[in-house]
Amino acid sequence: MSKPRVAIFDFACCEGCQLQIVNLEEELLDLISLVQPVAWREAMSESSDEYDIAIVEGSITRPEDEERVKEIRDRAGILIALGACATIGGINKLKNNFDLDEVKRYVYGKDAEMPHLNTAMTKAVDEVVKVDYKVHGCPINRSEFTYIVRCIALGKEPVIPNYPVCVECKKRENVCRFEYGEICLGPITRAGCNAPCPSAGFWCYGCRGCVDDPNVNAAKDIMEKYGKTVEDLMQKMALFGSGQKTEARE
Amino acid sequence: MNVKKLDRAALDSWVDSLIARQKVYGVQARGERFAFAPLARAEDLRLDYDVTILPPKKYFLPQTEDLVTFKRSGEYDSVLDDEPFVLLGVHPYDMVAVNQMDAIFSSDNYDVHYMTRRKNAAIVVCDVQNASPNVFAGCMGTATVKDGFDVLLTRIGDAWLVDARTEKGAGLLEGVSAPDAGEADLAAREKVWAENVEKLQRHKLNCAPSDIPDLLEKSYGHPVWEERAALCFSCGTCTNVCPTCYCFDVQDDVNWDVETGKRSRTWDSCQLKDFAIVAGDHNFRPNAADRFRHRYYRKGKYVADKIGQIACVGCGRCVTGCVAKIANPVEIYNRLMEDK
Amino acid sequence: MSNVVSDTGADRKDIYLPEAATVVNVQPMTAMESFFAFKLDSGRELGHMPGQFVEVSVPGIGEAPISVSSSPTLKGLFQMCIRRMGNVTNHLHKMKPGDRVGIRGPFGTHFPVDTVMKGKDILFIAGGIGLVPLRSAINYVLDNRKDYGEVSILFGCKSPAERLFTRELAEWSAREDVTFDETVDVGDESWKGKTGVITSLMKKPVFDPKSTVQVGEELSKELMPALEIKEPGNTIALVCGPPVMYKFVILELKELGVPIENIYVSLERRMKCGVGKCGHCQINQYYVCQDGPVFKFADVIDVREAI
Repeated sequence: MSKPRVAIFDFACCEGCQLQIVNLEEELLDLISLVQPVAWREAMSESSDEYDIAIVEGSITRPEDEERVKEIRDRAGILIALGACATIGGINKLKNNFDLDEVKRYVYGKDAEMPHLNTAMTKAVDEVVKVDYKVHGCPINRSEFTYIVRCIALGKEPVIPNYPVCVECKKRENVCRFEYGEICLGPITRAGCNAPCPSAGFWCYGCRGCVDDPNVNAAKDIMEKYGKTVEDLMQKMALFGSGQKTEARE
Repeated sequence: MNVKKLDRAALDSWVDSLIARQKVYGVQARGERFAFAPLARAEDLRLDYDVTILPPKKYFLPQTEDLVTFKRSGEYDSVLDDEPFVLLGVHPYDMVAVNQMDAIFSSDNYDVHYMTRRKNAAIVVCDVQNASPNVFAGCMGTATVKDGFDVLLTRIGDAWLVDARTEKGAGLLEGVSAPDAGEADLAAREKVWAENVEKLQRHKLNCAPSDIPDLLEKSYGHPVWEERAALCFSCGTCTNVCPTCYCFDVQDDVNWDVETGKRSRTWDSCQLKDFAIVAGDHNFRPNAADRFRHRYYRKGKYVADKIGQIACVGCGRCVTGCVAKIANPVEIYNRLMEDK
Repeated sequence: MSNVVSDTGADRKDIYLPEAATVVNVQPMTAMESFFAFKLDSGRELGHMPGQFVEVSVPGIGEAPISVSSSPTLKGLFQMCIRRMGNVTNHLHKMKPGDRVGIRGPFGTHFPVDTVMKGKDILFIAGGIGLVPLRSAINYVLDNRKDYGEVSILFGCKSPAERLFTRELAEWSAREDVTFDETVDVGDESWKGKTGVITSLMKKPVFDPKSTVQVGEELSKELMPALEIKEPGNTIALVCGPPVMYKFVILELKELGVPIENIYVSLERRMKCGVGKCGHCQINQYYVCQDGPVFKFADVIDVREAI
């Protein structure tokens, strides 16, 4: 059986998640033993429009990008959203909290009206096209990425956690960030990263997005227990949580 | 073997001699908290600790462990970890929990993975010196422990009484020359035990632990489950830090050759939303309140019915670990007592 | 409790280690289900009883609990009707004869075919895929027909396309010594049988005197349940189906006078380890994988979350 052809595309992002793939080092050889990269701007000079699997990095921020990702979707059998910008809109969604014209003027100044800077509301990839697999995180977790690739090679649905980061954080025996008086987004953020931030002494920034059914109704009471407010919490959530879909519990 | 009396220096040199001989895990500082970790030298050992973040169950039922390796052509092999080790400084309540886990994993269906580690362990219990902020072992009858371990350490003033309880324990003490403890020392140890029962009651349970199964039997529809669970994040912390919780999930992963791989198990939690989902996505415990209650029934009734002991040893880890501050079993049981 | 640690038990077997088995036969049954026959590579018999399950491994994909649907009276191989539901079952559906799987088990309790059921009238009530574990008991009873009294089989499923073991349904229907009846919730143009939920096979017909419709003899025959329980007190009912079915079927059985202690049910949970450890299948105090999947209904009637 011939190896599936893989193309990697970047949209609005820092391309750091692609870099995580490059950083697989010796495992990169293992990776290309399973798949054949045919388009990958960050790692190769050739480029092909014929691929089975499209890996899409970045969020969708311009009308022409919507068209481009739809074309990619049409060509690809499998589409993988790579990294927080692609899976949840990421930091780019901060923009959605402001007036778009103001954003353009602030960022681009006198060039704001140039056509290629025609910025629109930021969308995660699955707000534009169907996404088959999501590799969450800012940046992605390399071992989760390789696990997902192996699952695709096996034809198996990968098991992606639908429980909070606290699970992995506790397994690593970290001191809870709340014990340091910090607001940590671990209790509502989807695990799968193995809690690198709390393990390194930071709170969880929520880059993997929320679990399917976060207990948002508890926020006020729990913030009060720590002498904080919902506003404090919202401020923490703005970075990755802007405009994220969360279903309130019944 | 008689109880020996060691000064701190003798204790340290004994610990260092153990480290020279085999793998030793001991309690050490982690930030302002404590954790069991590989011990490199006696001076890192913190027998004055109050409680560790995770209980010692992680050495018998690790967070993640390989059960079997396989080839996709259909061959399977067991993976067993049989390296001997010493676990140094286990508190009595945690030892009671290990005894409970031993009962679970050795009975009905013998779990060779757990039991291989357990049999290769030599456990040194240390009587508690400092009570943690949420401990209530004194209410649960677990401030002291009678069996299951190999050596008991008790601090008496500046000295340490070292009491080998098994052949394995005597082996650990081989080569240690120290005087036998005198009657006054043994009386002082009795006093430590009695004091610890009182000291380890940061929360006071208003009933006997043996009353809990009946209390729960009558409280299935009590409003406390809904009230508390309203703040529950379903994060599983209360079960992950619990010394008597042992639920697990099993997953396969393949190597890059996509031909060989391993099947591993990892801690799971009845508090996680998807825990009771069956094929076809039906969830038998979809509400946080159902899951929350399940945990108390499991600890206070189901396991109790099975092994004759409440599966709560009063370590207080869930009380400390719960971000929402809803997990204090004493508050729950006392509330149920009030409304009985 | 320290004795469990000093106990040598050096050669204890690994309860998580699957045993190799080979696919002998695969036949598609419906759009969702296929019928598999397996043989243990060691050549030994599986040694199960009707109602028990095994954990089937597809190496690399995972493990899933699956009921054995053949009777232990069938020697040399064992059969399972497998619905495509997830990773493991999807992969099983791609398998062909000669492919290898791993088997652990059999696990759990079984229908009391060899004890309390002997000499009794037997009523099997299967809803949809619930026929899968019951088929093992049905075939066991039919293979030892003289050991039992009256045998009745009721089967209901959503649509004609979802009928399982159609050849056997016809055989059971044709047998003189078996009362067989079936219904589908919703029929199609080719369906000549009954429609309605499974309890409609158990109800006495209700004639509405105010109805303007003339109930002809043909129609009343159609509605008249084939099910007639001669001695409810001497009848053992085995019930297996989707969770929603139990409540209604049990009500009808009560109505028919079958004592509650004569009813056996098979419950479905996510039996991940099969050996009473992992906790996934726990219903209150019961580990379904050990205390079930077959329960006396009287034992679970008061168990919350069970049904």
